[in-house]
Amino acid sequence: MTDAELIETLKAALGDKVEEISNPARRRLFLKVAPRNLVAVTARLRDQYGVVFLSTISGIDTGETFEILYHFSTPETDFNLRTEIPKAHPHVDSITSVIPGAILYEREIQEMFGLTVDNIPDGRRLLLSDDWPDGQYPLRKDWKHVRPQEVIPGGKS
Amino acid sequence: MSFEIPIGPQHPALKEPISLRMTVEGEVITGVDIRLGYNHRGVEKVAEEKNWIQNLYLTERICGICSHSHSTCYAQGVEKLMEITPPRRGLYIRYLVSELERVHSHLLWLGVAGHEAGFDSFFMYVWRDREIVMDLLEMISGNRVHYAINTIGGVRRDLDAAQVAKALEGLITLKKRSEYYLRIGATEPSFVARIAGVGFLSLEKAIALCAVGPTARASGWPRDVRKEDPYAVYDEVDFEVATADTCDVLGRVVVRVKELLESYKICEQILRNLPAGDIAVKAPRKAKPGEVVSRYEAPRGENIHYIKSNGTDKPERLKVRAPTLGNYPATVEMLRKGFIADIPLIFAAIDPCICCAERSVTLVSAASGEESVVRMSDLRRQAIARHRNAPVKRNAVWPL
Repeated sequence: MTDAELIETLKAALGDKVEEISNPARRRLFLKVAPRNLVAVTARLRDQYGVVFLSTISGIDTGETFEILYHFSTPETDFNLRTEIPKAHPHVDSITSVIPGAILYEREIQEMFGLTVDNIPDGRRLLLSDDWPDGQYPLRKDWKHVRPQEVIPGGKS
Repeated sequence: MSFEIPIGPQHPALKEPISLRMTVEGEVITGVDIRLGYNHRGVEKVAEEKNWIQNLYLTERICGICSHSHSTCYAQGVEKLMEITPPRRGLYIRYLVSELERVHSHLLWLGVAGHEAGFDSFFMYVWRDREIVMDLLEMISGNRVHYAINTIGGVRRDLDAAQVAKALEGLITLKKRSEYYLRIGATEPSFVARIAGVGFLSLEKAIALCAVGPTARASGWPRDVRKEDPYAVYDEVDFEVATADTCDVLGRVVVRVKELLESYKICEQILRNLPAGDIAVKAPRKAKPGEVVSRYEAPRGENIHYIKSNGTDKPERLKVRAPTLGNYPATVEMLRKGFIADIPLIFAAIDPCICCAERSVTLVSAASGEESVVRMSDLRRQAIARHRNAPVKRNAVWPL
């Protein structure tokens, strides 16, 4: 099935659950979904189109909102599900009930962007250190790293 | 009664910092928890403050073993964003280095697997032969580890006829030796007895937990980005995707050795059909606003970079997912119900790569054992002085 044919069948199957489908390059489909439809669309893609493999989840800070991209792939094509959540109420549903392998990626975006993944089975910290201060989210655009002054043990600093 | 034993972040059995917390009952592991971040360097954040060409060298430093994988994955994405096509000779050289890197990485892993299984002569044989491919990489790129051969729009160094002949000669030896290792790895009774059935990962679990690379292929899931999404030269070369259906460490050994043989085949085709022409085109300083998903089959599995540009000379966002992260959920599954003694073997079987970076270095004087902490700038000064006095290095020759 070519990308164009696939887009037609996707449009018919998913209806108004998908807001927009674009195909900027061969094997690259970008689907835009509302956050409330995310889990339903993922389950539908898995059951009907065999989309079982999640490569990763990317988060982007666009200023007012967070854009979250789920990069799926099948032997035929790549699906990139895009959803946008407001920064004022940063909540997104966990897709681990459909794709269990998403757990580490969800934990990663949760602590890097300071958003909440609802219904996540294990939401503990993954990458940041235990003494990392609360409310500091490194991948937000307004977060700047301040390098601590280098102290040489036993020497003049 | 159950105990919890921490393995890592610093542990003799693991060469890189990661913390595995095992709940054990007697010798059997009942629960595994994983904690990362001991080596988190914030590369994605740094990338937003550097320009397109600087990031090429930054991505190369994500990993010490598959350095070329990250820089190639990044470069092929940025080339799409900038709408430039590298010349075919440049692409052939770039992906020749890719395949040679796969060869060196798999040989390294094969040695480590032998070592973890207590088969140290295998480890020494394999690592001796790895020097052949390391010398080839040094001849082609000038470096053994960070090749720095990529540039946006092509590659930085050309190949001449003598180098092509030497590379082909090296491949013949490597092929002969690898066939021997396939025989040893798959049939030597004591080695097979140690690795067969260890670290079981069923096909259903591999799919559910999104395993990648040789780990997924050893569970009978034939996924390879080079085959399903052929980038650059991979639709012009002939190769097979190696799989195994034993779902254990033995399968992972067999898959990797078979992949070595396929890589030699690809290298040979690339070297024999090397097109004439330029090796690079000039790249613009800025990229148009847009986004691109770049996928690449690294030695350890699928490597994916998501790059978003905002029209300036710096990326808006660079998301990197290295294959090892994709394999962690599967590793947890493999370790569960295993034995404590199998932990290093199972963990090594995904070929984990948790890279290291240090800002201050402790120097220990070999003669007196005295320790001194030096600043990075002093270390650099010492290194430059040392290289100035060093004798000129000859091209290494391997007596075969």
